[in-house]
Amino acid sequence: MRVLGGWIALTPEVDVKLLFGRHVWDCAQHADLWGRRLPELRAAAQQSEPANAGVVAAWSLIETAEGKDQTLERVTAIYRVLKPHLATVYERHLAVANPVYEPPTRRILVRCIEEERRHAAAGALVLDRLLAGDRALAERAGTWQRRVLDALIAAGGVTGDVESPLVETPATAPDPASVAQDLVAPPRPLDAATALGELAAPLDAHRRALARGDLAAVRSDLAPEAAPEASAEYARLVPPFERVEVVGVARIGRQRVVKLWLGGPRGRQVLQERWAPRPGGWRVVVVELASAQP
Amino acid sequence: METPIAYDKLAREERFVRMRTRDVANAKIDQGLPPFPDITTRDSMRDRIHGILVGELQAMEGAGRTVYDFPDAPWEFALDMARQVWDESRHVETYLGLLDHLGGYVGEFPETTLLWRCACAEDAAARVAGVNRGLEGLACDVFNQLIHIARKIGDPVLERSVDYVLADEITHVRMGSRWLNELTRGDPERRRRAIEFQDSIDERFNLGGTRQDGHHEVVPISIAKDARRLAGFTDEEIDRLVKSTQRSQVY
Repeated sequence: MRVLGGWIALTPEVDVKLLFGRHVWDCAQHADLWGRRLPELRAAAQQSEPANAGVVAAWSLIETAEGKDQTLERVTAIYRVLKPHLATVYERHLAVANPVYEPPTRRILVRCIEEERRHAAAGALVLDRLLAGDRALAERAGTWQRRVLDALIAAGGVTGDVESPLVETPATAPDPASVAQDLVAPPRPLDAATALGELAAPLDAHRRALARGDLAAVRSDLAPEAAPEASAEYARLVPPFERVEVVGVARIGRQRVVKLWLGGPRGRQVLQERWAPRPGGWRVVVVELASAQP
Repeated sequence: METPIAYDKLAREERFVRMRTRDVANAKIDQGLPPFPDITTRDSMRDRIHGILVGELQAMEGAGRTVYDFPDAPWEFALDMARQVWDESRHVETYLGLLDHLGGYVGEFPETTLLWRCACAEDAAARVAGVNRGLEGLACDVFNQLIHIARKIGDPVLERSVDYVLADEITHVRMGSRWLNELTRGDPERRRRAIEFQDSIDERFNLGGTRQDGHHEVVPISIAKDARRLAGFTDEEIDRLVKSTQRSQVY
């Protein structure tokens, strides 16, 4: 619950944010059910501690995936390892929980198993979307999955005494209709041509000038009233660029803020330009080099 | 995981264009537009809905951080914040649908992060005072007006969707009122600082002076007194808010 909650802000993809957002509340309810069951079993309510140092280490490893480019690792750790592991542990517990003495525990287990399996299935679908059939990404996810699972094995699972295998496939797959309720489709891809409208043609020429590193041509698109810093921002670019893509187009009244992704042999840079219609055509009034990565 | 996280670590897909609140407002003023969309045209309605969508995203992210950042807070506090995360995720879904309904797209207007910055207060009491009472209270005003306009223009999809979201916001303000009291019990100084933070947010988010006391037909955004009372605001607090709108500047 806590880790998913903390990761929402660190995860760029809207559909993944919403997946985490839905599951935070389910996880909180699971923890609450277990926490309220504890005093009925002569333990303190809502108090728990890790089974051993290995569990702490496994959690610490999972939490290291906090970079904005590590959504793959976050989803893999939770939905390929942790949730299937929890469901496995719950199923084994349910198999030995006495139906006469332990119905309160059994009821919690049944609910948690159903929801953890549903979460894992939803996460698997989101992961498929992130992998998009890319072999290198699949390998990256597989490597991280093994690392996290190894850390859990070293801990003996979440309870410290779980027998191998730590993750078992469910006897029956979750109902696809219930899994679908956990998912929100990602927003439609940007239709740059429509969003740009009449700015599309002048921007195309501007992009070509950027790609070949012709800063004089790029600067000629600046409006006379643009601040001197705008020209200086272009000097920070490191051309040449093989790709100059429009990744965002926002409107402020009649103006357009265009976000360009520039990729070349020396890294990638993100340029944000505000364009305004002027009597002689569209002109850049504000320029900002938003980010640069080697 | 780093806690609390830096403001600029808020992660977004590339389609989002981020700008400073002041720069967006100035760019609008330079074009003779109001700094806050006035919902008189379809474009400005989309602008408003997009702004709310982004606000709901940041509210979900902020509540998620609150779940993570305060491991020593009472368990029921974490539970309430986790519930809020889920609510906000459904609000995001609702506003994604409404944006589609109005023919817009995600990223169509710049995102500002003033709301997110407020959600990064280091004290849990300040965070619930500022976000749950200040910002969610503001949401009550804005959504109440949106429902009124949707009814007036005959858009039942917009009207009903926002009405459901408003019900949740009232619940979130109530949560904020409860936790402001409980987290600061026996610590008047912490309570004073938290309320001061909330007041500063109320002043900063008066929407360029458009939030005012009065009927929907008379003022641009009416302070939703009934919704606020339902949410647990006292008459004295509402009066204080009304006074703050009278001295607020365009942000």
